[in-house]
Amino acid sequence: MRTLLSDAPRASLTAFYWAFILYLLLPLTLMMAMSFKDANFVAFPIGEWTFDWYVKVMQDKQFLEACLYSIMIAAATTLAATTLGVWIAMLIVAEGIRGQVIIFALACLPAVVPGMISAISLRIFISTIDMPTGTAAIILGHTVHAVPFVVVMALTRLRSMPGNLVDAARDLGADSVVAFFRVTLPYLGPALLGGMIFCVLLSIDDFVRTFFLGGYRPTLPMLIFAKVQGGMSPEINAMATLVLVVTAAVGLYAEFLTRRARTR
Amino acid sequence: MVSSNTTAAYGTVRDAPVPKYSTGVAKVVNSALYRHTLGAAVESRIGRILLLAGVPMIWLIMLHVGPIYQMLKISLLSHYPVQPGVESRFTLDNYAIFFRESIYFTPLIKSFIFATAATAATLVVVYPVAYYVAKVVRPEGRSKALLLLLVPFWAGELIRTFSVIMLLANRGAVNVLLREIGFIDRPIPMLYTSFSLGFGLVYLICLYMLLPLYSAIEKIPSPLLDAAADLGAGPFTRFRRIILPLSRDGIVSGCCLVFLTCIGVFATPMLLGGPNTVLFPETISGFFHGASDKWPVGAAFALIMLVTALTAAAIFMRLVGGRKRRTI
Repeated sequence: MRTLLSDAPRASLTAFYWAFILYLLLPLTLMMAMSFKDANFVAFPIGEWTFDWYVKVMQDKQFLEACLYSIMIAAATTLAATTLGVWIAMLIVAEGIRGQVIIFALACLPAVVPGMISAISLRIFISTIDMPTGTAAIILGHTVHAVPFVVVMALTRLRSMPGNLVDAARDLGADSVVAFFRVTLPYLGPALLGGMIFCVLLSIDDFVRTFFLGGYRPTLPMLIFAKVQGGMSPEINAMATLVLVVTAAVGLYAEFLTRRARTR
Repeated sequence: MVSSNTTAAYGTVRDAPVPKYSTGVAKVVNSALYRHTLGAAVESRIGRILLLAGVPMIWLIMLHVGPIYQMLKISLLSHYPVQPGVESRFTLDNYAIFFRESIYFTPLIKSFIFATAATAATLVVVYPVAYYVAKVVRPEGRSKALLLLLVPFWAGELIRTFSVIMLLANRGAVNVLLREIGFIDRPIPMLYTSFSLGFGLVYLICLYMLLPLYSAIEKIPSPLLDAAADLGAGPFTRFRRIILPLSRDGIVSGCCLVFLTCIGVFATPMLLGGPNTVLFPETISGFFHGASDKWPVGAAFALIMLVTALTAAAIFMRLVGGRKRRTI
């Protein structure tokens, strides 16, 4: 009797889980399928299939330029956000510093402020310091967005670090700078790499900050947004599919890295 | 002789053995540049504190607090950016405008209704999934089940929003399928309505609900559930008396995260919404892309939104998370 009772909810939960997976994957699958449609308009059923849209996208100079621009911004953002994030995390775990809770709260502030408001406040901020909109402003905005995530990731790893590792290095005569680069940083290693990839994805994905801080050169999301507003075409689907495949591969790799770091 | 020289150069503060670095590190550490800058700085306590705290504190104050402070300042000015011949003075008018005109007031209320509805819908949909992964799936399969849920979220906000169009458009998958099986004659207009916006929002943010819920439910000890079952509690009673109260932390943080994200969502309403679904972020954005002297009003509105959203989240935390330590 009891097995019957516990089996029914179990089966329905399993069914619900798979229905949910279907819900998550269906729109993206449809979007990918549509990129192979041999027609100028987006509509089901697909009918004729073709690869032409991919050929067209790969020859699209605007798309390739936007890709490069996005990657450049993501690289700069990641470098800056990782440096600052680890630095802030080191300050929070440091002994003999007061007000750690306040520092941590300040570090997490950009993660609590809704994206739209963060973007507007940064737009106002750069105008008060006479900074023009454009590449530097975008990198600044993306970095502010990414720092809290790096801080939290670095903190988790730093707190699991045996304190005597650094003490040992110091006892052997290394000064604190050397101890940081030779002991702490290698210990952060894989977790940090996962965090960096997360920063890259965060930056490439960001729309609202780029919208307010960017100049005339479009990043990938800006280009896709402009194209969608300009009218539907399977070309956009091909573009989005390419981006999706690359970012998913990178994300999967990051997941693998952090998982390995955790099990070690 | 050589050894005492290096000790003197490196610092005589401690009687530590002279460190033997590998060549690369030694080159850097023993170089004049390093010894006179970083090497000298870390020798005193003040130097170490400055080195550790300097850059982070400047960054935090300048860029985490600075923009919000500047926004607050500008929201109190009558003109910004200042034009020649116009004097900018201190005023509260920018805030008053919000309460005077309903075209500004309504979008904020709409934003709140949408965000609340989307949060509630996400909670109801995601909870069983989180429970399934945390408690029904065997531990060795858990990470795989979780990974499958994560896959769509590497697609990015804009691409996921765009993909919803494929599903809901007039000639999208749902309408075409319904027509094929003879259920409808004309397509149901789903895109550019409140429905498509809500659907897209839930699709966009369910991960933020999933992860906190999962980690909260996973922490519930399974023997507790077995004991309850042995004592005769049915599935519903177990859910109401044990699982729900013990996953409260996850519910609170998941809902707050989803709510705050929904309030600030910007691209999704522009792609999936219609003329009837103008939300507050779009209203605010208008002040920054139209005539530039409306910036103070935009700043004031953004602050109104920030304060009301954070207050709502705080009230929710108080109401739901407050009675945490109640015995089961």
